[in-house]
Amino acid sequence: MNATLPSDGPRPGPFGSGQPAPTAMQTAPHHPPFRRRAALPLAGLALVAPALLSVLVFFVLPLAASVEGAFRTPEGRGLANFVKLAELYRADILFTLLIVGLSTLLTGLIATAIAGYLTLGQNPRAVAILRWLYRWPLFIPFVVTAQIMRTFLAKSGMLNASLSTLGLADAATLGSWLDWRGIVLAFVWKQTPFVTLLLAGAMAALDRGTIEAARNLGASRFRVLWDIVLPQAARTLMTGLILSFVTMMSVLSVPLMINAQSPTMITADIAFRINAYGDYGVANALGVVSLLMTGAFAILYLRLGLRERR
Amino acid sequence: MRPTLAAILSLGLSIGPAQAEDLTVLTAGDQNMVDYVNEYLGPLFESRHPGVRVRAVGTGPGDAGSQKITERFEAQAAAGSALWDTDVAVVHEKFAGPMVKAGWLAPYRDQIATGALVTRANADMALGTEVKGHVMPMFNSQTALAYNPAMVPNPPQSYDELKLWVAENPGKFGYNGIKGGASGVSFVMGWVYAYGAGDSDKLMNGPFDEAEIQGWTAAFDDLAAFTKNATLTAGNAGTLDMLARGEIAIGPVWVDMFYSWQANGQLPPEFRLVLPAPGMPGQPMHFVIPAKAPNGDLARAFVELATSPEVQAEGIVERFNWYPGIDAQHVEAALPPETWAKLFTDVTPEDLATRGKPFPIAPYNNAILEAYERHLAQ
Repeated sequence: MNATLPSDGPRPGPFGSGQPAPTAMQTAPHHPPFRRRAALPLAGLALVAPALLSVLVFFVLPLAASVEGAFRTPEGRGLANFVKLAELYRADILFTLLIVGLSTLLTGLIATAIAGYLTLGQNPRAVAILRWLYRWPLFIPFVVTAQIMRTFLAKSGMLNASLSTLGLADAATLGSWLDWRGIVLAFVWKQTPFVTLLLAGAMAALDRGTIEAARNLGASRFRVLWDIVLPQAARTLMTGLILSFVTMMSVLSVPLMINAQSPTMITADIAFRINAYGDYGVANALGVVSLLMTGAFAILYLRLGLRERR
Repeated sequence: MRPTLAAILSLGLSIGPAQAEDLTVLTAGDQNMVDYVNEYLGPLFESRHPGVRVRAVGTGPGDAGSQKITERFEAQAAAGSALWDTDVAVVHEKFAGPMVKAGWLAPYRDQIATGALVTRANADMALGTEVKGHVMPMFNSQTALAYNPAMVPNPPQSYDELKLWVAENPGKFGYNGIKGGASGVSFVMGWVYAYGAGDSDKLMNGPFDEAEIQGWTAAFDDLAAFTKNATLTAGNAGTLDMLARGEIAIGPVWVDMFYSWQANGQLPPEFRLVLPAPGMPGQPMHFVIPAKAPNGDLARAFVELATSPEVQAEGIVERFNWYPGIDAQHVEAALPPETWAKLFTDVTPEDLATRGKPFPIAPYNNAILEAYERHLAQ
């Protein structure tokens, strides 16, 4: 079976042209027609001014104030807030990265599997049921997700009860899942449909010919997904995962309701700094760290976007 | 143009400060606090003052709720508003001191008839700051250990006994750390009172001495080891949840929540409470009236009603299972003896007197929380 589908060399190879297959996102080179410069640049500026102003007033200014606040201490400007942050919350920052990183990875894997089946599945009824089912968590807020998980994952919750009924584990030895695993489960459960929605859309827009050609040459469905479909939809997958990462970084309700112990996520620490100590300095410093983490991913996202437009 | 202008103006007026007959009550704390004002106190006050409407606004559970009220007052003080938007506020003890110091509150206790019914020390001093005259305690609340007698036939009577019990029964004691509600915070404060090197009276009464913090290291190392054998729960309600499901056998809870859950059938009736030596903290919630309250007279009448022996008996003790805010002897007379006895079955008045402690003064409070974060972050 494999002999007919070369897996080495430039991919995707077996289309005869030797050119990479065009993705849905790529369009033909596009040269804008020559346009005369606007006679009145001021008019353009006036048009864009309200939007620009609201971005400045409602987004950039508060953000700048919060960043500036991270350096404000009772003794004037300094790094004291960051020193305290490093002392108390190092573990939590690492914990946040690991939790959100792992959740992103699992979300990617499951979303690929679901979107892959939606694209390549052969049982129309199963595909229809899956298509109907997978979107449900999209419409459930994070806080409700956390509430569901709290009863589902408790020591004598539904998950352990089911495992024990199925004879997969002994109820007496099972512990509560309401720790980091609970957070990861809640995140993956909530974010997978979002990424799947994007990914399945991109996969559906692919040229079916490439898939059918590979199938005709005898490739298994997994092979087709891994070698033909996924590479063409990879950018959409990355975009979905980056947006998920940034969303999960900002969720407070899930860590607060599932595991607000140490270590916990940065968002719970920010809330605690403000609510217990009225300390906006360290809270802002934690915000800056969180911003740097999401900022790195935002840059990745922008780069992907730029590459697509080229 | 003119109708539009009029419409905008009337809209502006309708969302402006409350009208003269509206009494605005901000209340921090769990939903039961908002329920108390909305379902009990508000209607009662309205029936005695026809034409007045009580608007209760809940600002959220725990310190966060009082923090929001503080920030609201701060903003109005900074803006120089002549009349504020709040008539009465219910705040945690920790926030009463800073509010009095900032000069935002009216000294009103001597102007109401029930002012003389309060003599307890925590109505005069709030965590080291004098608040005498500016606050009336709405109720007193206390933390204690709730336990399942089927799993703990001989409950630990002290922190020392609890340590031994937990070492023998790992995972069966649960508390909610310090980031998920005040019952866990209270347990930690009690731990420092018991095992901190210094004098615990100094933590409760001041003055603040930075050197004191050094004496807690051994206590926190011990607590970190203790916590390894404990189960961490998700919040005040999380501890009660796990107790109810039999996942843990004992844990710190608020006494009023415990009784309310029991009354609702969320906890089995055979569950009991014990207040371990040397003691665990409790706290009053205080009524305060801003100096620039729009309806000062009504506000005072409202607090007077809320702290009258009848309301304290029926509302605070009988319906919501809190300990009274005014002195107990005035309330006891207004209640059937069995109702009174129910509140003191497990935690006797003697227990309360010897083992019911205040929280530490604010700087120690913060220092203990931070020391916990430092020692227990893994």
